[in-house]
Amino acid sequence: MTEDDPGPLIRLYGLTGGRTRPQGEAFDLVAIVATVRLPQETAVLNPEHHTILHVCRKPTPVADVAAGLGLPLNIIRILIGDLRREGLVSITPPKPANQSIDERTYRDVLHGIRRL
Amino acid sequence: MEFAGFDRPRPSGGTLTATALKILVAGGFGVGKTTMVGTISEIRPLHTEELLSDRGVGVDDVSGVERKVATTVALDFGRITIRQDLWLYLFGTPGQDRFWFMWDELALGALGAVVLADTRRLADCFPAVDYFEQLKLPFVVAVNCFDGARRHDPGKVRRAVGLDEKTPVIMCDARNRSSVKEVLTTLVTHAMEVR
Repeated sequence: MTEDDPGPLIRLYGLTGGRTRPQGEAFDLVAIVATVRLPQETAVLNPEHHTILHVCRKPTPVADVAAGLGLPLNIIRILIGDLRREGLVSITPPKPANQSIDERTYRDVLHGIRRL
Repeated sequence: MEFAGFDRPRPSGGTLTATALKILVAGGFGVGKTTMVGTISEIRPLHTEELLSDRGVGVDDVSGVERKVATTVALDFGRITIRQDLWLYLFGTPGQDRFWFMWDELALGALGAVVLADTRRLADCFPAVDYFEQLKLPFVVAVNCFDGARRHDPGKVRRAVGLDEKTPVIMCDARNRSSVKEVLTTLVTHAMEVR
């Protein structure tokens, strides 16, 4: 907790230029982020943006990206939102459970857990 | 533009349908949520923090920054790879009531939830039970049998919590892998039945 020390918070928002919300449509914690194109040399990106692009060459859920970079989810979402705006990543939202989880998926999940 | 040195994401129209499913692990503070996630996760549980801000500030508005209260809420999660393109995520939900709004997002599209309960503080699990009942999200109540805690009769727990007959109640040990596997398979089986 950083309740007595606003320093880390202010530094984190420095990464986002003071923004506290991502641009565009909201996306879920387990939305899948995939790098679709490399940035132009002229693109204004910070090192964290580049790290996200590197990580998401393999499609990766938002939560994993956040944990991998050690940054709060809000901050990660803003940075991912920037990359989406630049057309560098795609963000695939999870489908509602009643659409994404069919009989086969349930069985695969059961099998996957038992196998652990 | 070509990527060098790594696999390219498949072009659109391909069969890339990576899916991440969520299971929530809820319950009172200190009931063993993080332990349960860690016991079953194939990776060391990832810990991330959600930064809370009561309201957004405009891009150019820095006047409020010094007044802003820095609050972070920890979120622990683990992962199980089911198939190459299918992951199961376990999220240990924030225990504090004031973070309910995070539950809404976590619960959206979730496969189901485990409500961890401690018989010494059974009432701690009531908010989670109420929440999932209201949401009609399939859940099981797993009683974490701490050392020294008396083994309880699932029927008594069911009555004390006021659960319907369909909702499974099981005894578990959050530190034990096969016990946690049983909790999860019970949940998935239950979710299949009630869908």
